[in-house]
Amino acid sequence: MTQKIHAPAPRTAPGSATAGPRGLVDVRRRPHTWTGLWFVLPFLAFYALFLLWPAIIGFGYTFTDRSLAGGDVSFIGLDNWSESLTDSAMYDSLWNTLWFTILSVPLMVLLALGLAVLTDHARRLGWFLRLSFFAPFILPVTVMTLIWGWMYNPSLGLFNGTLGRLGIEGPEWLFAEDTAMYSVVIATAWWQVGFNYLLYLAAMQSIPKDVYEAAAIDGAGAWQRIGRITLPMLTRTTALIAMLQLIGSLRVFEQIYLMTSGGPNFATRTVIQYIYDSGFVGLRIGLASSMAYVFMILIIAASIAQFRLFSRKEG
Amino acid sequence: MATSTPPAPRAVQGPAKPLRRTPPRRRRTSVGAVALYTVATLAALVWLVPLLWAFATSVKPEGETTVMPPSWLSANATFEAYALVLGRGDILRWTMNSLITTLIVTALTLVFCVLAAYGFSRFDFRGRPALFALVIGGILIPPQTLIVPQFVLMTQLGLVDTYWGIALPQVVAPVFVFILKRFFDAIPRDYEDAARLDGAGPLRVLWNVILPLSRPILTAVGIFTFIGAWNNFLWPFIVTNDPEMMTLPVGLGTAVGQYGIQYAQLMASAVLGAVPLLIVFLLFQKHIVTGVAGAGIKG
Amino acid sequence: MRRAPHAPPSTPAGPGRRAFVTGALATAGLAAAGCAPPDTLISGRTRLRQWNLFAGGDGNRMIEMHDAYRAEHPEIDFRATTFTWGAPFYTKVAMGAAGGRGADVATVHVSRLESLAPGRLLDPIDPALLAEFGIDDTVVLPNIWEKCFFGGQLYAVPIDTHVLIQYLNLDVCRQAGVLDADDRLIEVSGTDDYFDLLREIRGVTGEYGISIDTWNPWSNFWALYRQQDGDLVLGEDDFEMDDDKALAAMDVMYRLSEEGLAPRHSRDADTAANLANGHAGLMIHGNWEIPTLEAAGIEFSAAQFPAVFGNHRTRGDSHCYVFPHQRDRDPGRTRAAAEYAAWMLHNSLTWAGGGHIPAYQPVVESAEYDALHPQSEYREAAENVQFEPEGWFSGSAGRLQEEATGALTTLHQGTQTPEQALDQLKGTIRELLTVPSPV
Repeated sequence: MTQKIHAPAPRTAPGSATAGPRGLVDVRRRPHTWTGLWFVLPFLAFYALFLLWPAIIGFGYTFTDRSLAGGDVSFIGLDNWSESLTDSAMYDSLWNTLWFTILSVPLMVLLALGLAVLTDHARRLGWFLRLSFFAPFILPVTVMTLIWGWMYNPSLGLFNGTLGRLGIEGPEWLFAEDTAMYSVVIATAWWQVGFNYLLYLAAMQSIPKDVYEAAAIDGAGAWQRIGRITLPMLTRTTALIAMLQLIGSLRVFEQIYLMTSGGPNFATRTVIQYIYDSGFVGLRIGLASSMAYVFMILIIAASIAQFRLFSRKEG
Repeated sequence: MATSTPPAPRAVQGPAKPLRRTPPRRRRTSVGAVALYTVATLAALVWLVPLLWAFATSVKPEGETTVMPPSWLSANATFEAYALVLGRGDILRWTMNSLITTLIVTALTLVFCVLAAYGFSRFDFRGRPALFALVIGGILIPPQTLIVPQFVLMTQLGLVDTYWGIALPQVVAPVFVFILKRFFDAIPRDYEDAARLDGAGPLRVLWNVILPLSRPILTAVGIFTFIGAWNNFLWPFIVTNDPEMMTLPVGLGTAVGQYGIQYAQLMASAVLGAVPLLIVFLLFQKHIVTGVAGAGIKG
Repeated sequence: MRRAPHAPPSTPAGPGRRAFVTGALATAGLAAAGCAPPDTLISGRTRLRQWNLFAGGDGNRMIEMHDAYRAEHPEIDFRATTFTWGAPFYTKVAMGAAGGRGADVATVHVSRLESLAPGRLLDPIDPALLAEFGIDDTVVLPNIWEKCFFGGQLYAVPIDTHVLIQYLNLDVCRQAGVLDADDRLIEVSGTDDYFDLLREIRGVTGEYGISIDTWNPWSNFWALYRQQDGDLVLGEDDFEMDDDKALAAMDVMYRLSEEGLAPRHSRDADTAANLANGHAGLMIHGNWEIPTLEAAGIEFSAAQFPAVFGNHRTRGDSHCYVFPHQRDRDPGRTRAAAEYAAWMLHNSLTWAGGGHIPAYQPVVESAEYDALHPQSEYREAAENVQFEPEGWFSGSAGRLQEEATGALTTLHQGTQTPEQALDQLKGTIRELLTVPSPV
C-alpha cells in the first residue's frame, strides 16, 4: 500500500503538472521538515496523555497498595501480582470470559451467515430484513438489557408467560447459575449480530451475478449454489468476522454487568467486571491494576496470535 | 491485509456471460420462494419481538404489565408512562449530555485523526516510523483494561463528572488514524501538484484536495465515531457519578432506582433511550450500511 | 492545534467543514450547559444534591418528604437521586468523593461508615452547625449516635433504625386459620412449629407459604444465626464462628425452598409482589416494604421476625446522612446540607410511615407515632436488633454481605447443601480477612 512512497519519483520540471502518471511530485523532497510533526502532534498529545500515560502509571500501581480512598501509598513488591495470579476468583472470571467467547463467537458467525443468506435470496424484502436484523445493533446497551431483563423475568416475563400458556414451566433464565450465561449469550447475539450480518451481506452482494447464473446453467439448485459458490467465496469474510468477534467477545463486560451483575453466585462475572469490582467497589487500585495487566497481556497475545493465523491464511 | 478490492474472485467472471438468456427454472423456485419468503418474514418478526414487546409494555397501564399470561395488546392503552418518565426530566438531561459529549468526541476525533493521518501519509520527519508504529501498537491495547489508571488520572486532573472527562479519553482512536492514512496513501499525488504549484500550503492542500476526495471514508469514520461514542457505556459509567452528568446509556442503567417495579415506565424509558439513534439510523441508513460494508472490505 | 481548522477554505463545504461546524455547535452547547446547571446561575438559589439508595417502598416516603422540603425551601435548588441499592450505590458515592464532585449529602448505612474512609472520602460534620438546627446527642438514641463518630469526629447524622420483620397477608392467613381474634398470627416457636404453620398457609395459596428475598439472604441468615446466639468474631487473620448454629440456620433456608414453602428465586421487587398477589401468606422483609404493600391495596399486617429459634431477634441497621468529600467545599451548600439533614429528622414521622423506626426521639415519643399501624406491631423489634461485627467489609451491602450472597442463594436454589454453603461462606470470610484493608 505504500508503493508510491518508495518509488524514486523523477523530478518534474516546473509547470509540467500534467506530466501523466509518471509525473509524481515527491512531496517529501524536502527531507526532515518538521511540518509533518505538527500535524501529528495533537493526536499524539492525547494519545500520550490518555492512553500511554495511564498504561505506564497503571503498571506502577501494580507494585503499590494504592487505594481509591486515598491515604498513604507504600511499595509492596509483587504482592498484587501474586494475589492476582493465585486468586481462584480471577481464574473463574477468566473462564467465564472464555466461556462467553466460546459460546458467542460460533453462534454470532453462523447466525449472521444464515440471516445474510436469507436476505440475499429474499431480495424483495431487502430493506425490511436489513432493518429488522441490524436495528438492534445500534441500541444502547442499557436499552437492550432493560428489555431483555424484562422478557427474561422468571415470574412475570414474556418468555415464561408464553411458555406457561403452553403448559411448560420456563427456566429461571438470568437467575440460575446453569442458564444465566446462555441467556446472556442469546441476548447478546440478538443485539450484536447485525454488524456481522451486514459484513456478510456486503460480501455476498459483491459476488458477481453471472457466477450464479453459470452454476444454474450447470443444473445447480439453490442449496448447491449456496454450498458451492456463496460459502467458499465467503471464506475470507468469515475469517475476518470470526477474528473481530473473538476480540470483541473477550472484552465483554457491560451487558453482563447490567443483566446479572456477574451473578448468580459469580457464574457470569467477567474479568473486566472483576477488575471493576476490585478497583472501584473494593477500592484496591493496586490489585485491580495488576489484574488488568494480566488480562491485557493475555488479550494482546491472543490478538497477535490470531492476526498471524489470519495473515497466513490470507497469504 | 489486502487493500480495498472487494473479495470477489475475478477469475470466475468470464465464461458465465453469454449464457444469460436461459430462464432459470421459474417453476421450482417459485415453490421454494414461498418457503423462503415465509421463513425470512418470520425471522424478521421474531427479531422484532423484543422491541415490539418493550413498546407494548410501555403503553399499558401500570397495573396490567404484570398480569399473567402476558397479552400483547391492552384495551386501555395509554401514554401515561411516557408522560411520567419525561416529566422527571432525567432522560432529557441525559440525552443532552450524550449529544454534547458525542459531538465533542466526533469532532475532535475527526480533526485529530485526519491531521495525524495526513501528517503520517504525506510528510517525512524525524522519528516518523517509530511514532507510527507506536500509534498502531495502540490498537492492540484494550481500553477496558485501562479504566483504573484512567480514572485516577481524571481525579488528578479534576475531570471526574465533567463533559471533558467523558469525552477526551474517547478521542484517542488509533485505528482511525490507520484507516485514514491508508486511504490518503492511495490518493495519487498528482492531484496535489496543481494546488501546490499555486502556492497552497500543506493545510490548504489537505482542505482543498485531500478532504474532498475522502468524503466516503470521512463519513464512515464520522458515523462510526458518533454511534460508538453515543453507545459507549464503560468509560462514561466509570467517569460519571453525578446523575446530572451521565450520558443516556449510563443514566438508564444506573440512576433508575426510582422506577422500581413499574415496568411500563421502565419500558417507556427503554423506548425513549432507543429513539435518538433509531432516528439517526433511519436518516443515514445507506451510509451506515455501506460504512459497515466498507469497514469489512478494508479489513 | 485549534488554529488549523480556521484556515480560510476556498472550496465551499468540504466534508471536513461539517465536522468543524459540529465542533462549534458542541462548544456552544458546552458554554450553554456549563458545569453548573444554568438555572442555578440565573436564580442564585443554593444547589443541593442528595444521593440515596431507597428503591423500595420507603423511596416513596422520601419523595413525599422531599416535596414538602422543597415547598418550605424555595431558596434551595434541591435534587435527589436514587441509585440501585447496594454496591452500585456505594461505589458511586466512593468514586464521586474520590473525584471531588459528588453529592452534597448522601444516605448510607451506619454500618458502612468505616468502609467509606471517614476523613478522606467523607468530610466531617461540624456538631455546632448541626446543633444550630436542633440536632445533638440529646435527641438521638446514644447507642446510634456513638456509631456516627470516627476518630473523635462526627461523620454521620442518623435518621432511623430498620429491621427485618414478618408481614401477613391477612386474607390468606385468615383462610388458613392461623390468626387469633385480633388478627395477630398465632404464636409459634421453634422450627417445626414454624414449618407446620407455613405448610398450612401453603395449603391455601397453592404456591408458597412464605415469600422471602432469596437474592439478599445474608440478613435472614444473620437473624437466624443470632437467634441461636451464634457469634462471629473477626480477628486479625482468623475468625470464630459456630458451625452447628450456622448449619442450623442454613438448613432452615435450604428446607424452605426445597420443600417449596418459599420460592427458589425471588428478587427484591418480586418478593413483595408474591405476598401482594397471594402467592404467599407471609413474608420476611425489611420494614421499608410497608408503603409497597399499602400501595398494593391489600389487607396486611406485620409482626416481629418469626421466632424460628425461640426468640424474635432480627437483623437491623441504621440509615444516616453523610457529606461525601468535595474538592471545593462550599460553606453555603454545607450549611444547606446540615439544615436539610436536620429538617428530615424533625419530620421523620413521615419516614416512620415508611416503616422505619425514627432515630429522632421526640418523634418516637409522640402520640402520632403511637397511632401508626402496623408499625406499632413491631415496636419491640428495636430492642431485638442484631448489628453485624464491625469491620471494613461488614455492614449492609458490604463485601461480606455481597460475597456471602453467592454462598447463601445456593441454599434456596438447592444447588448446594448447607454443609457446602457453609464451606463456601467460611472460605469467603477467610479470604476477606487476608485482604489488606483498603481504607
